[in-house]
Amino acid sequence: MTPVRHRSMRYSTLLLLLSLACAFGGCSDNAADPSTQIGANPRLPELQQYLLPPIHVAPVVGWKETETPTVPAGLRVQAMATGLEHPRSLYVLPNGDILVVESKSPGTEPVRRPKQIIMHWVESFATGGSSNRPTNRITLLRDADGDGVPEVRSVFLDNLNSPFGVALVGNDLYVAHTDAIVRYPYTAGVTKIAAPGTILTPLPGGPINHHWTKSLVASRDGSLLYVGVGSNSNITENGMSAEKDRAAIWEVERSTGRSRIFASGLRNPNGLSWEPQTSALWTVVNERDEIGPDLVPDYLTSVKDGGFYGWPYSYYGPHLDPRVQPQRPDLVAKALVPDYSLSSHVAPLGLVFSAGSSLPEAYRAGAFVGEHGSWNRKELNGYKVVFIPFAEGRPSGDAQDVVTGFLNANSKARGRPVGLALDKTGALLVADDVGNTIWRVTSASR
Amino acid sequence: MNAIAAEANIRTPTGRDGLSLVKVERTTLGVSSTVWMVKAPIHAMLVSFPVVCFIGALVTDLTYWSSAEIMWADFSIWLITAGLVFSGFATLVSLIRFVGDRTFRTRTAVWLHLSGDLLVFVLSLWNAFVHSRDAWTSVVPTGLALSAMVAVIALCTGWLGLALIYLQSAGVSER
Repeated sequence: MTPVRHRSMRYSTLLLLLSLACAFGGCSDNAADPSTQIGANPRLPELQQYLLPPIHVAPVVGWKETETPTVPAGLRVQAMATGLEHPRSLYVLPNGDILVVESKSPGTEPVRRPKQIIMHWVESFATGGSSNRPTNRITLLRDADGDGVPEVRSVFLDNLNSPFGVALVGNDLYVAHTDAIVRYPYTAGVTKIAAPGTILTPLPGGPINHHWTKSLVASRDGSLLYVGVGSNSNITENGMSAEKDRAAIWEVERSTGRSRIFASGLRNPNGLSWEPQTSALWTVVNERDEIGPDLVPDYLTSVKDGGFYGWPYSYYGPHLDPRVQPQRPDLVAKALVPDYSLSSHVAPLGLVFSAGSSLPEAYRAGAFVGEHGSWNRKELNGYKVVFIPFAEGRPSGDAQDVVTGFLNANSKARGRPVGLALDKTGALLVADDVGNTIWRVTSASR
Repeated sequence: MNAIAAEANIRTPTGRDGLSLVKVERTTLGVSSTVWMVKAPIHAMLVSFPVVCFIGALVTDLTYWSSAEIMWADFSIWLITAGLVFSGFATLVSLIRFVGDRTFRTRTAVWLHLSGDLLVFVLSLWNAFVHSRDAWTSVVPTGLALSAMVAVIALCTGWLGLALIYLQSAGVSER
């Protein structure tokens, strides 16, 4: 072989390596400003497929003694409880007692591909690693005088299986474990339930259990329960059979445990809540990853009985996802477009309507959304609580930041917001599963 | 010197046999040959693994293409990963031999063989990333095309590698 040929081979190899490095590392992100994706008509760019999807999770540093999140003028924020273990959702009982659901991933997902080994490693940064302290329980906080400092704190229910949703109907307390809705006998004022629960209905659980948080809400008359069952994958990479009855909201008859699919095509629905003016069911949904920093926007939507919202075949109506095979044009044709985009990868996990809030007038009609924060784009998105104003039972304006500062100046995570609730005084409560804190937001003038 | 000459005489006829090749090298040649003397059988052993893995990945890719049954795509990425590990070792051994043995470097077939090994490694690394996408497009069309290319090149370089030992007595000739 001649030297000339050697050299040309070397150059072509170098070019190949350079172009590969560019493709792997992503020479440019080209992410749009998230504000262009807020509202009813988000800009949806062309999808792209990566060799190495952008991965950026804010490393966890935690809260220092004096640090708190940031709230706009007119509001005040303080820690209501600290030292919790991965608090994920909140429920306020009729007597004002606050239930803090501390929960962690069941961790039963088997390694099916080498990719998962890498992803688990990355996720360990997001949660600050795993601790051995007790979790998977519900802690009760009682703040009888409403000053934001609980006088009573007790372990209310223990030894649960990755719980998330809670709903009380009369004296029946329902807890959505990751694999079942379980009923416990409740008496007003108790600070602990020792009785074993009774399974009302099993839910799709392990072993894969990719999206494991089961959100729960009872109908106004208490006869029905609605439970969010997230998909078992990002986009069917665990096979179609793993998705049976998932990516859906179930309607469960409380008296019998009989269930049906109320709505489907919702990749990971959480924060099920009733819109106060129309009494419609609303949810926040985590959409799919790995097709771009601005795809697919997570959303807030009303949920129609029998509605299909696209997953896995399409998103925002007719936008096909080429990763799904075989496709289902019949389903895509009837796919509903969600009501309100929250922008991409913000990971909304908490939702509460503000009716009954004691916050200033500007926050009285609308919804608060807890955005856990992104991992699948270079520029972090989410990591905050936003407020979306409503009028006539529909979103009526741009989302406004309400609780921020979960990221410090160096984009490190002091905490990450998840579940939301209003306490009996109308203050906004925020569960922070990385900062292990419950934050309480009140009107500054109170 | 007589002993070495005698060994050298034996070597030429039996050098076509991979096993005696090793024996001869140990008793006759100097430093650089000692290196590849040890490597040669390791390479010969290693090199069959990636060929089998990459051809297997093509088969499982084709099965996924026709069935859309995700299990086959999972098999593919494990086969590609295993193939990459073994082809990485094999290429490394080739490179050491290539750098350490001047006579080896002068052969066009050796150049071809080594470039083939490198190409298989780079394409398979690319393929591993493609196969780490989710569901259908982890295979169709890019992954499948890469698997097919890699299988063909790996077969060719595998054949070339064995031909180098068995037909051309690569590394057997005296410097």
